[in-house]
This record gives sequence, structure tokens and C-alpha cells, in this order.
Amino acid sequence: MRAAPYDPVRTLYRTLLIFDIVAVLILAAGLAEFLYFEPPGQVTGLKATVVGVYQYDPTTNKTFGPDRSTFSRAQLLAAVVDWKSLPSNITVDARWYDNFESIVGSVGPGTPAQLASQPIVPIALPKNLKYNLPGQYMFVVERWANGVPVEVLARRIVLVERS
Amino acid sequence: MSSTTAVRAANPRPRNRPARYGVALVVVAIVVIVIVASSVLDYVFLDTIPGRTALYGLLAVGLVTLGTFIGVRAFDKDPVIRRSHLIRAGVLLGLAVLLWLLVIDLYVFTSSAGPGVAAICAAVCVPTTAFGLFVVRRLDRNEKEPWRLVLVAFAWGAIVATSMVIWGESLWSAIADRVLVPGPGLDASTAFSAGLLEELAKGVAVLLLFLVMRNEFDDVVDGIVYGAAVGLGFNFLESIAYMTNLYSIFSPDGVGGYAAGFQWYSRQVLGLFFGHATYTALTGASIGIARQLHSRRQQVIAVVSGFLLAIAAHFSWDAWVQFFPIESSTLGLVEIHLRTLIMTGPFTALVIALLLSGLRYEGQALSEQMRKEAAEGTGAILPPEVATLTNPWRRLGQRMQALTRHGIKAYFALAGLQTAQLDLAMERWHRERQEIDTPLEAEYELRRRVVELRRRAGF
Repeated sequence: MRAAPYDPVRTLYRTLLIFDIVAVLILAAGLAEFLYFEPPGQVTGLKATVVGVYQYDPTTNKTFGPDRSTFSRAQLLAAVVDWKSLPSNITVDARWYDNFESIVGSVGPGTPAQLASQPIVPIALPKNLKYNLPGQYMFVVERWANGVPVEVLARRIVLVERS
Repeated sequence: MSSTTAVRAANPRPRNRPARYGVALVVVAIVVIVIVASSVLDYVFLDTIPGRTALYGLLAVGLVTLGTFIGVRAFDKDPVIRRSHLIRAGVLLGLAVLLWLLVIDLYVFTSSAGPGVAAICAAVCVPTTAFGLFVVRRLDRNEKEPWRLVLVAFAWGAIVATSMVIWGESLWSAIADRVLVPGPGLDASTAFSAGLLEELAKGVAVLLLFLVMRNEFDDVVDGIVYGAAVGLGFNFLESIAYMTNLYSIFSPDGVGGYAAGFQWYSRQVLGLFFGHATYTALTGASIGIARQLHSRRQQVIAVVSGFLLAIAAHFSWDAWVQFFPIESSTLGLVEIHLRTLIMTGPFTALVIALLLSGLRYEGQALSEQMRKEAAEGTGAILPPEVATLTNPWRRLGQRMQALTRHGIKAYFALAGLQTAQLDLAMERWHRERQEIDTPLEAEYELRRRVVELRRRAGF
């Protein structure tokens, strides 16, 4: 019986298949990462109350003006959370994320009772910059389990305009 | 002289179009449906800036489609008709590029960064991207792909693929932002969206070239060239988008130029070959390998494997780049290069390995076919010519000799003859491997024209 002639294309094909195992491992690792930080079955139905998002004065640590969803770059802003709206036996935190998904302000984690004295959650100005970066900012109140946030109990999105 | 360079492989066309044209039509129909549905959904439900540009972008997509159609028709035609088609196609593609840039400038960035900044950003990306295209095309040292197809691939990457992903990613992001917990989980979701949508949108271009332009899609080397060209197109427009966006964000603090300049360096210098060009080259390589496989099952597996590799490579960068933070010191300059090398380097190395293997195999096969052709005594390839034709440097040396002795006309006449001889060898190779659907008359015609070119050139 004669052996089939050597075909380099088959070698290239097999090389591709071998590297595909790496590809599958990478995508599986990504899926595992996603499931670790977004574990299924974590919906409790709890809702936190975000009173509003206001302009913020850092010297007095107080908010002022009406609840808004649009701000200019020069305006400092903060969200106000009613921690009493949550049961006392859970661990929660509150965070601001900027357009690059960086955390730019937070309180917690802790129980709602521990955080009761911190209802105002301001956005911190970026290091070395005079103004807030423009774009969409997301404020979330999150419930924690096993050391990571697993459920969003409240969410507010505000826009910091470019001009 | 133009007629001397008109000879391409597999002329004339087969009388009955193979089934792959039907597959290509289905793929195109799916792309158009996705684009239209996505743009309308974006506009109706999101009404974001990209959502609004979606409707305007449709015109650009229409122009690209028409330009590509006319460009493809221009192939294998009479030189005069071809020139006319190419001019029309070029004008349409140019209009589409301008229109799309206009849409981006007007609706996304111009209001903050201004058209001047957008124009400067585009201008500084042109030389680097042109260099990238030049290098990528030169990679195929045995039989360079026609500029028009390389540029069509580039245009698809720059305009059609970017249009498709803007809408798809806007939808994905809008849903994920409202459902997922911000943080690594959301980052992974965004990376999946970028890897999946962007690689599919880019890879479709290579797939269509494989289905429709089989005569100019020979093997793994051609796949890498077309794939990298699509990636360079995508990278070109993405670079402009990021540069103008970051300029507008940071200019009030006086560092807009630095932010845009950093983006230019990371995308147009450091990431020119490492990013999108590598990812889509992986897809292209797999389609090129599928081109030479005989089993339909293996062909499908190869193409799917390539897409999977490209998606994984892209995903790994987007999802895990955050684990390699860059310090804001001099050390950061070293870190940013190392990060690219470590994260994308292995995939680029794989592309290079496939390219070198493909070039070696292609070179050996062409050499063998040339020897066979010379031995048959048809006059298309003479025995003493084989050694020169199989070596790109010797081919160039012979052309330069013709240039110095007989002038520029002799140079181009010889270039046309060499190209036709290589096309003939390529045709023989594909026919011997039984991976060609053109009739045998095509090979006779090609051989006849090589002999005619030799006679006219007086070699």
C-alpha cells in the first residue's frame, strides 16, 4: 500500500486546528471570567432608592439645585442614596463609573446601616485635570456576595457635556 | 503597453458560474440586511449619535457596494472598458470614504474637536497606513495581488466593517449597560462584542474575495495579504475616531494634542501590524488554507477556525489589557511596548509562521510548474528562465537590466511577461491540485498570450 503524497496544505490546516485549541481556551477563560463577575441566579428583586443626582459643593459636602441628568464639565456632581430603603442584612456599595468604565467615586462596601452616614456619593475630579471628563457617567448601587458585586439594585446614567 | 499587463490567470471566465457565486450573493444579502436592520433599530430605539449616523451611513455603504460591484466587473475586460469601470468604481469608493468621514466629522466629533482637527488626524494616519499597505502587498513576493483588490479590501475595512460594528456595538453596549454589573464582567461582555462583531464584519470581506475573486485568491499568502489590508482599513478609521474623540475630551485641559498623539503612536505605529491587521490576517490565512483543501467539511472547519482565532485574539486584548496597567513615568514607555508584544505578539508570530510556510510552499510549487512548462517546450517558459522567475530578486535584476539597456518600455514589457509567466505557473499548480473551476481552455489562452507577449517584447 502506497502512502498518500505529502501535502503542505494539510500541515497548515493542522497548525490552524492546534492553535484553535488555544483560541477555545481563551474564549472559555473569558466566559469563566464573565460568569464569575456576573453569576447567574443572583436576582433578589431588591431595589435601592437613588434620591437624585445634583450639583455638589465639596467644601460643605452638600448637594444643591434640582435633580438632573445633564451637567457641564465644570460642574461637580454627586448622587444621593436613601440607604434606609434596603434591608440591613446585605452588603452593598455605591459607585460612579466614567465613560472609560473607571471608578471615579464610591462609598462602601458595607451594610446599609454602616453606610447610612454617607448618603452623598460625589464624583472625584480626575488627577491633574481641572474639569470632569465629558461623556456618560453611570451611578450604581450594588449588592455584594462572596467578595464581589453581583447585582445592581439601582442605576442612574447622567451625561457630562463636552462644551 | 497596457495590454501587456492585462493577462491574468484563468482567462476566459467559465461559461457557467460556479455555486460559490450563489454563496457570495447570500453573504452579501445577509450583510445588507444586517446593516439596514441594525441602522433602523438603532435609530428607532436608541436615537444616539451613532444611531443617527446609521441612516446617513447607509448611503456610504450603498456607494461602496456599487463601487465594489463595478470594480469587480472591471476585471478581465477589454482594457478600455476596464479603465472606464475602474474610474467609476474609484470615484464611487472615494465618494463613500469622503461621505463616511464627513458623517463622522459632522455628527460625532466635529462639534467638539472641529473639522480641522479631524482633517489633521486623518492626514497623519495616511502615511503610516499607506506604508502598512505597501508592506503587506509586498509580502506576496511570488505573485503580488492587484492594487485594486487590495484597496477594495482596505475600503471594506475602513467603511463597511466600521459601519456595521458601530451599530452592532451600540446596541450591545446599550443593553449591557442596563443589565450587567459594571466591572470586569461588563468589560468581558464588551470584549466579546468587539471580538465577535468586528472580526465577523472584517472577515466577511475576505470571505467574499475568496468566493468571487478566486483567480486572485491563490493560497494562504493571498489570504493573509487581503486580511491584513482589511485590518489596516479598519485600523485607519478607528485611529481617526479615537484621536479626534480623545482630542475633544482632553483639549479643555490643554493636553488634547498629547492624547491624540499617543493614540496615533499606539494605533498607527506600535499597533499598525499587531492589532487589527493581525486579527484579520488570521481569518484571511484560514480562508487561504480552505482555498486549497478538497473536502468541503475541512474547508468549513478551516474558515470557522480562522474566525475563532481572530475573535479570541481580539477578545484577549480587549478583555485583559487592563491587567497590564501602564505607569505614567519613563518606565511606561517600555511597558506599553512590552504589553503589545506579550499580548498580541504570539498571534502575529503565528501569522508570520503561516506566511513563511505558505511562501515556501508556493515558491516550491511554482518552481516545479515552471520546470514542467519549460520541459514541455511550449515556448511560454524557456529552461534558462526558470531560475530567474523563481527568485524575486533575480526577476527585479533582470527588469533593471532591461531598463538600463532598453529603457522604461522594455522594463514594463518584461514585467508584464514575468507576471504572465507566473500566472501560468499558478494556473498549472491549481489545475494539478484539482482546485480550479475554470476550463482547460483558460490555460491554453494564458499560454498563447505569454508567447504573444514574448514576441511583442522581443525577448
